[in-house]
Amino acid sequence: MLEAAAITRRFARTLALDRVDFCARPGEIHALIGENGAGKSTLINIFAGRLKADAGVVSLDGEPLAAGSAHLALKAGIVAVYQSPMLFERLSWEENLALGGFGAGVSRNDLAAAAQCAQPLAARLGFDLPPPGTPVERCSIGERVRLEILRALSFDPRVLILDEPTGVLAPAELGAFLELLRRLRGEGRIVILVTHKLAEAMAVADRVTVLRRGRVAAERLAANTDEAELARLMIGEITVPASTSAAPLAALGDRATPALTVEQVTLDCDGRRALDRLDFTLSMGEIVGLAGVDGNGQRELVELLAGRRAPTSGRVRVRAHGGAITVIPQDRDLDGLILDMPLWENLMLARPLRDRFTRRGWLQRSGAVAFCGELLERFRIRSAGAASTAASLSGGNRQRLAVARALAGAPQVLVAHDVCRGLDLRAMADVHRMLREFAAAGGAVLLISSDLDELLALSTRLLVICRGRVLALPADDCGSERIGLLAERIGLLMSGAAS
Amino acid sequence: MNARIAAAARPLAALVLAAAIISLVLIALGASPVAVAADLWQGAFGNWLATTDTLVKATPLVFTGLAIAIAFQGSLWNIGADGQLIIGAMAAGALGTALGGWPHPLAIIAMLTAGAAGGASWGGLAGWLRARREVNEVISTIMLNFVAAQVLSWAVHGPLMEPSHALPQSVVIAPSAQLAFYFEPSRLNLGMTVALLFTVVCHLGLFHSAAGFELRALGRNRRASAFFGIPIRRLTVLAMALSGALAGLGGAVQVSAITHRLFETMSPGWGYEAIAVALVARLNPLAIVPAAIVFGALDNGSQAMQRADAVSPVLVNVIQGMVIMILIAFDAMATTGMRTALFGLAGDARPSADAVAGAGDA
Repeated sequence: MLEAAAITRRFARTLALDRVDFCARPGEIHALIGENGAGKSTLINIFAGRLKADAGVVSLDGEPLAAGSAHLALKAGIVAVYQSPMLFERLSWEENLALGGFGAGVSRNDLAAAAQCAQPLAARLGFDLPPPGTPVERCSIGERVRLEILRALSFDPRVLILDEPTGVLAPAELGAFLELLRRLRGEGRIVILVTHKLAEAMAVADRVTVLRRGRVAAERLAANTDEAELARLMIGEITVPASTSAAPLAALGDRATPALTVEQVTLDCDGRRALDRLDFTLSMGEIVGLAGVDGNGQRELVELLAGRRAPTSGRVRVRAHGGAITVIPQDRDLDGLILDMPLWENLMLARPLRDRFTRRGWLQRSGAVAFCGELLERFRIRSAGAASTAASLSGGNRQRLAVARALAGAPQVLVAHDVCRGLDLRAMADVHRMLREFAAAGGAVLLISSDLDELLALSTRLLVICRGRVLALPADDCGSERIGLLAERIGLLMSGAAS
Repeated sequence: MNARIAAAARPLAALVLAAAIISLVLIALGASPVAVAADLWQGAFGNWLATTDTLVKATPLVFTGLAIAIAFQGSLWNIGADGQLIIGAMAAGALGTALGGWPHPLAIIAMLTAGAAGGASWGGLAGWLRARREVNEVISTIMLNFVAAQVLSWAVHGPLMEPSHALPQSVVIAPSAQLAFYFEPSRLNLGMTVALLFTVVCHLGLFHSAAGFELRALGRNRRASAFFGIPIRRLTVLAMALSGALAGLGGAVQVSAITHRLFETMSPGWGYEAIAVALVARLNPLAIVPAAIVFGALDNGSQAMQRADAVSPVLVNVIQGMVIMILIAFDAMATTGMRTALFGLAGDARPSADAVAGAGDA
């Protein structure tokens, strides 16, 4: 039994955890839910020994754990998989596995052995492993999360903590993954699942603990609660906007004027075909969803549309010239923001804004700061002002800033990659509203995501990407009101069944 | 704002703590810290001549310190300011002998331009190698330091050697190319004025120009910079060339004002000391001037200290080294908390994303 008693942890003036009690029993899947900033990550970091509590004790089967020692936590059998994977970027994926549990019993230099140990586990989970020798820095986020799950399982954990692991798994993989969690439960292990997705928590968890602003808002048996109650507990008194529920796919787009045309685009990079004869158009005023499991060419497509890569063959045409495509990258902290720069300078990263506030090579600081202040106000971004650093923003506000910045440049085409990953319901609703308003004003959005619910809620039309190829859904499916059936269909396409 | 003041006060606190530790060492050795400090002060600022000489000694440190700051702001680890200064001095020294009939201002401008161009070529080469061939600039700039020293040695033994062939040195540069001392016998000259001018230029360039913004963005997040279309390669070559140009200017000023000719050793290691100066100044151009003056004063005062107290001038290098070490420790304490920094507890005491998120929502 993993028990936490009266855990308190403070960061500077912020009380991240306030006398939190938590208890997970062997043979149970325990969901830990809460908004961004509720204290979930802090709590699991304390479990995993990465952080030390200011007060309170964590014990496993009655034995108190040495506070603040990741090594001892691992020895005690507590293994965590983090939302941003903790892998050695410059090492190959085999080396990463060999450094973890797959090194036990075999030489850490014997990469083939590590890879061999990983194969059956990966096969059982339905995970695709990257080509041999691929360094982690060239793996997509999805591949990294999968690697980290493999590594965690190889430790034979007594307590397995998973921080938002499912966001980047394919529906087909998800089934096998949840099945695995159930099997781990059957073996008497403790599984702690940190998630925003209430449906997922309800589907697999036995017990749910809800955190709100550093406190335990409630603990419920899954059988005795429902999503609506959990959402209320998570958010408090505020009502959830309807945007997260699945809306019927509607053809709102003005199909007559294509804003973006991708013609037979093929891209080879790092010795493999990342994109294979892509052919699609985006019209003004439509939000086109691109569904797919992470690591199937989305990143390369985004880089291509951002102008970082040139197609090997084919071409991309935009209605207007230059700077008409704006990209919101997948990894906002690594690709989208510069965390130790002030907010107004983060806005200036976007070329159109930088150009707007540059006169003869000189940045117009006061104008840019005032503009940033307006934007913070208009998009309701909670911050300590334009001069505060991006690092001081919460995850949701960072993403609001990224979206606000993209829209402020008045692009024709917005490419948004996993724009709501890790956001809480309120931030997600805000971002969805911003995208809808942009499309309503005549912009074209390419929404790339592995979250089908989000795609179905926002998109006017759906495409599926799998192994570098883009497949359009048959037209009759798009009008279908049987969302469940549709989701299943898309899921099959995403996992490559139809290709 | 308080955090910024604290960050600015840390270098001063580091200096005080370093002095305190050295005092203990001196007491243990039987010397009087008060007497040593007094003589150090006397040698650095005791009179008009000493004070101006401190400024003269600080001048190449300002140039090389700016060079380091520009490169480091872009996360371009230029360890080669020494070599760039040497090549700059050589270019200026070689040209200076040929400027006989030139009007004084023109000759000076020609000297400085030659120095900047020489340094820019040396720094730009490392930048080009980085941008086009992915050669680690730390390695290339260190190697180019040795190449520069050898090239200079060859030059003063060969093509640039004075006609008498008595010593490995060049002939004296034309009088029109020599910077005059403002107030003889003080060696104070135009050099420090030019250094101050470039300090302001660097400050404006880094913090108020679009290119400077792009360079700082590149230095802080290369991946995001690539995503937002910042011209990384062009900026790398440009920043390294500018960095080299500043170091080269320092070399040219030294030849024009102080040495008037080329010797085998043109730099006592300014390019390396400049790294310390720039780090103490937090890569902030305006703070480089006081930092360079402190380091120049320590260098200058060390001789008087040696004469009066029989303490090795190496002591000064120890102080300089300690300031850096203590500063790094202070920075660690400020970001991770005193206890963690001192005793290394708690694996990761940096606030997690969730905690920071909480701070934003509070």
